[in-house]
Amino acid sequence: MKQYSLTRQRNLFIWISLAVPVLLLVIFVVYPALDLISMSFTHWDGLASTREFAGLSNYAKMLADADLWLSLRNNCIYFLVHLLAIPVELAIAVMLSGKMRAAGFFKSITFLPYVVNGVAIAYAFSYFFSPINGGFNAILSLLGADSLIRNWLSDSSIVNFVLASVSIWRFSGYHIILFISALASIPEDIIEAASIDGANAWQKFWKIQIPSITLLVDFILFENVRGALQVFEIPFIITNGGPGYASSTFTLYTINTAFQYRNFGLASTMAVAIMLLIVVVQVIQNTAVSRARTREDRKRSMQLRRQGAKK
Amino acid sequence: MTHSMKRQKMWADFFKLLVGILLVIFVMTPILITVFASFKDRAGMTNTSPLALPIGDSFTLENYIKVFSDKKLYIGFKNTAIIAVVSIFFNVFFGSVTAYCLERFKFKGRSVVFALFFLGMMIPTFVTEISRFKIIEGMNLYNTLGAPIIIYVASDLMQLYIYRQFISKISVSIDESALIDGCSYFRVFWQIVFPLMAPATATVIIIKAVNIINDMFIPYLYMPGNKLKTLTTFLMNYSSAQKGSWQLLSAAIVIVLIPTIAIYVVFQKRIIGGLAAGAVKE
Repeated sequence: MKQYSLTRQRNLFIWISLAVPVLLLVIFVVYPALDLISMSFTHWDGLASTREFAGLSNYAKMLADADLWLSLRNNCIYFLVHLLAIPVELAIAVMLSGKMRAAGFFKSITFLPYVVNGVAIAYAFSYFFSPINGGFNAILSLLGADSLIRNWLSDSSIVNFVLASVSIWRFSGYHIILFISALASIPEDIIEAASIDGANAWQKFWKIQIPSITLLVDFILFENVRGALQVFEIPFIITNGGPGYASSTFTLYTINTAFQYRNFGLASTMAVAIMLLIVVVQVIQNTAVSRARTREDRKRSMQLRRQGAKK
Repeated sequence: MTHSMKRQKMWADFFKLLVGILLVIFVMTPILITVFASFKDRAGMTNTSPLALPIGDSFTLENYIKVFSDKKLYIGFKNTAIIAVVSIFFNVFFGSVTAYCLERFKFKGRSVVFALFFLGMMIPTFVTEISRFKIIEGMNLYNTLGAPIIIYVASDLMQLYIYRQFISKISVSIDESALIDGCSYFRVFWQIVFPLMAPATATVIIIKAVNIINDMFIPYLYMPGNKLKTLTTFLMNYSSAQKGSWQLLSAAIVIVLIPTIAIYVVFQKRIIGGLAAGAVKE
């Protein structure tokens, strides 16, 4: 009898506690996501009380939209630039987690850009790259490279790389800190044993440190895809996608389609495309991670067996 | 240690220090150039290099005086503070108990609730506003502080990771002995478990505060009203009003940068630990 009432009491507690957060989640997150799907089959200007059924026409229009494809290509630039930065981030993380003077100070500085106000920093970079008295051009002429001076934000052939470098400035520290915390979780005796066996820093890096953090490397690679797909704030503030659509991104283009051109049906279609891409990335990530896990478990059990045999 | 090894180590240390200094230059240059500009007058902006310190004739406090005399700055501070306090209160209130229920109990419907929250974390930011906009308008929350508050409470879910990780470290025997003593589940959670989670709560409060102070798009989209500026949207407004006057805008940028940098300087261990925990979900 007591057991029964305790279970009932428990269930009461659970449902009272979860009711409001789950309801909020359904109303403000799950329902809007589903509504995007249904809106993607309609024409709607965001004001009219009825939505006109549009069939697949928004999907056809989306696939034929050259500016959207251009925007997606720009997302790829962010992805590639961040991908190239990962080895550098890893090297810096290894350096900062080893024995080094003032490592704590350097770590704090490294992570600072991730915490600061993104909009304020975006304006600071607008000034930094501005053609009139901009800081970057001043640095170039200080280094005697006057010939490189140009209008960094209105040259459509380089603007994406400039914005991607702002993104590097802002988000690399986050990766570095994640790498550092993963490196710190490698048991010290393994590294010490390797040193005693005469391994140099390079061997330790490839044979011990990298294999121990593959899960995190996986995570950061996938996070990079997700992040690159959703680049928004930096181009929104600094160039608003310009000149023309030269520095537009998928998310920026989608948002402008909805709130500037009031084409909510088409914008929803694009949003559905982003959602689908993210789900695909997530599914691939889950399989990759679970595979890496089983691989690691097998390795560990083999090691244990070997140790057992030695004893 | 042989002589050559010592020399090698010296070179390695020197190289590391060099990389560290380059890192500091890379991070600080855009910030420092903005700080320099914020202390220069109009003539100083054109006559001196952007890399030059604001000393001598060009030095002025005029830019800061002007920005601080703008009433909208104080409105921005006030609104940001209200939104942050109310949202964080509910994030802690709901987040802690949700994480507790999901982590501690096996109950009917758990997998559904779990799936909903997992789905909620996967749904992309920004583009969801296309359909959420209508709901906010329909609830008459458009152009009120309620819009960002309810969105932050409902959709920003990273606190669940921080709490879940912490709860898994609290022994179940604590809950059980309290239950045997006749405590209700509500009392067990709110009077025993919740106080034990204070370190996690502190982490949640600090990280959320940084996120909310820095958020741009939600206040920008839902609160265009002049009385409803946040610190960030105040800056956006200021920027379009001061086009071309970089020294004034720089002062505004520096003022908006200060709150989160101050939080970071004081609480950096918690911020770094919490974000690392929230990222790599096990």
